[in-house]
Amino acid sequence: MAAIEMRNIVKEYGDGFKAVNDISLDIADGEFMILVGPSGCGKSTLLRMIVGLEDITSGDMVIGGDRVNEKAPRDRNLSMVFQNYALYPHLTVFENIAFPLRLNKKVSEDEIRRRVKEAADMLELNEHLERKPANLSGGQRQRVAMGRAIVRQVNAFLFDEPLSNLDAKLRGQMRTEISRMQRRLGTTTVYVTHDQTEAMTLGDRVAVLRRGFLQQVASPRELYEQPVNMFVAGFIGSPPMNFLPAVVAGQRLQLPFLEVDLPAKAAGKVTDGQLLIAGMRPDHFEDARLLDPAKRERGALFRAKVDVTEWLGDSQYAYIPFEANEEVTRQLAELAAELDSEALRTQLIISIDAMSRLRENQEAEFWADTSRMHLFDPRTGENLTRDEDAAADLAHLEEEELRERTTR
Amino acid sequence: MKVSRRTQVYWIVGAILIIAYAIIPVLWIVSLSFKEGDDITNKSFLPTTWSWENYRTVFASDLFTTALRNSVGMALIATTISVILATLAAYAISRLDFPGKRLVLGVALAITVFPVIAIATPLFNLWRTIGLYDTWLGLIIPYLSYSLPLAVYVLAAFFREIPWEMEQAAQVDGATSWQAFRRVIVPLATPGVFTAAILTFFAVWNDFVFGITLTSSEAARPVPAALAFFQGASQFSQPTAPIAAAAVVVTIPVVILVLLFQRKIVAGLTNGAVKG
Repeated sequence: MAAIEMRNIVKEYGDGFKAVNDISLDIADGEFMILVGPSGCGKSTLLRMIVGLEDITSGDMVIGGDRVNEKAPRDRNLSMVFQNYALYPHLTVFENIAFPLRLNKKVSEDEIRRRVKEAADMLELNEHLERKPANLSGGQRQRVAMGRAIVRQVNAFLFDEPLSNLDAKLRGQMRTEISRMQRRLGTTTVYVTHDQTEAMTLGDRVAVLRRGFLQQVASPRELYEQPVNMFVAGFIGSPPMNFLPAVVAGQRLQLPFLEVDLPAKAAGKVTDGQLLIAGMRPDHFEDARLLDPAKRERGALFRAKVDVTEWLGDSQYAYIPFEANEEVTRQLAELAAELDSEALRTQLIISIDAMSRLRENQEAEFWADTSRMHLFDPRTGENLTRDEDAAADLAHLEEEELRERTTR
Repeated sequence: MKVSRRTQVYWIVGAILIIAYAIIPVLWIVSLSFKEGDDITNKSFLPTTWSWENYRTVFASDLFTTALRNSVGMALIATTISVILATLAAYAISRLDFPGKRLVLGVALAITVFPVIAIATPLFNLWRTIGLYDTWLGLIIPYLSYSLPLAVYVLAAFFREIPWEMEQAAQVDGATSWQAFRRVIVPLATPGVFTAAILTFFAVWNDFVFGITLTSSEAARPVPAALAFFQGASQFSQPTAPIAAAAVVVTIPVVILVLLFQRKIVAGLTNGAVKG
């Protein structure tokens, strides 16, 4: 086990394109770090640079205190689970898992058998040991790939979108399995994904990347509650954060449907009449009729016409279209394109109580928790209302939790 | 989709015609090889009486047995060397990026279309001067130069099919490049290696031009060339029937090879390696 430090890592291709741009990231010993971002953000390239399958253009990659830039993959003592598993089709499951051990002449046959057995026990692969990968299901192949990774004592595990080839149900199960395995073995883990559910649930910390640049590294909770910019805010959370045009009018802020006081954090950073973008998460809204009276104080009420509702049993979403000026629409479309989605129309997605019997195409009263609203500068995307103290608290909590787990 | 009866009939008729076209000459040679003495003039497809006489003649003749030994020996040596070299070369071509890669492939292709007869005469003169004329080595070298490009081409196609991740996984697991090649890539390319080996073996086994121009005695003459010098039991009759018998004998190893390795040639060994 070891900590991984990256200092000013750059990956530049022959044509001058920088896939990874000046990334510095410290991954603590035993930590579960997620690299997340839309496709083409450089997350897989970064992972491949850690493992040594991709050359590092400049910067230092330090694993367990040793600079490994020039070391071959086999000398870095890491193990990796590939997106397509990369099992050896000519070998049985047993031999697939034993492969890394067999390459080391010092490991005896008994030792190999014992360790493969141990890994197979953990992953419940015992009855499949003599089968070939071709005869296994997707989930079983995935487990074999994990078995091959955990059979050795390595400095770190690297996962490259390991669950993206599984169906939704299996993905959920394997996610829990990976989390449990990592907690049990306590090995430093770097996990690449574009799925934000995996990012939120698995990681101690999440590094959000965009076009080769590191946007924010923080615990999932901090990313969700105190994003540094509009990109992170829009990427984390499903359904995504709502972005609304907001115009500063003296000490007030005008939004579609409602008007609120200008948040204290933003005061001094904005000028009168300036156009901002307000970010509000779907779960910061509620159907006013079902609202907990204790909450009413924190927010504002407004009336709006619901276009479509989606009832999912445990939750319910309502869609409220609104008109936005051209500049905001263009901004939102650009952001959506970058997040691999498409902004078809400007609309508010709000999460309301599943009990609500709201009807489509009818006007109703809603409540918005404006105290948790964030304001973004539309040009730079910077978050004007990020609460550094709250963010530091969350970071501190996360650190404590990790320390507790790794020293136990 | 339901195929109409009419199309079905056309297909069957077409298939029968093609099979007949291919197999009748073979059957004819087999039938000839069983005809005794003057029976070849019996004006019927089948022999009047089936006889092993021609086979006895063939195997009694030193000319044939030494030629058979030469053919088997040289074909095996040329195939082995060619496949080993081609495996390494094809791996380099499919995996490494080096200057002149396209040129290598282009030249390889050019060699396979180069007319063999054009270099037969120069080689004849060259070999006589440096003493390779009428030796095994003298034949194996030109065999290699023709079979190697073919084998490289076949194998390069196979290597390209093997996912890169296989090898990267092996490297991360702690394998050196050589270990990754030997323990992962080569086993996966087995069907390709067998295909290349069989193609090479056939090419060498069936060679006539080099066999006849670069040999003068039984020291290195392969079977196809030796058949041209075949005399049979009597000097006064055309040895058609014994030649037919010899032809059948040299065809048998080829048929056995194909039957043996047919299953090995079946592609799709990489099934289950990666989720497709």
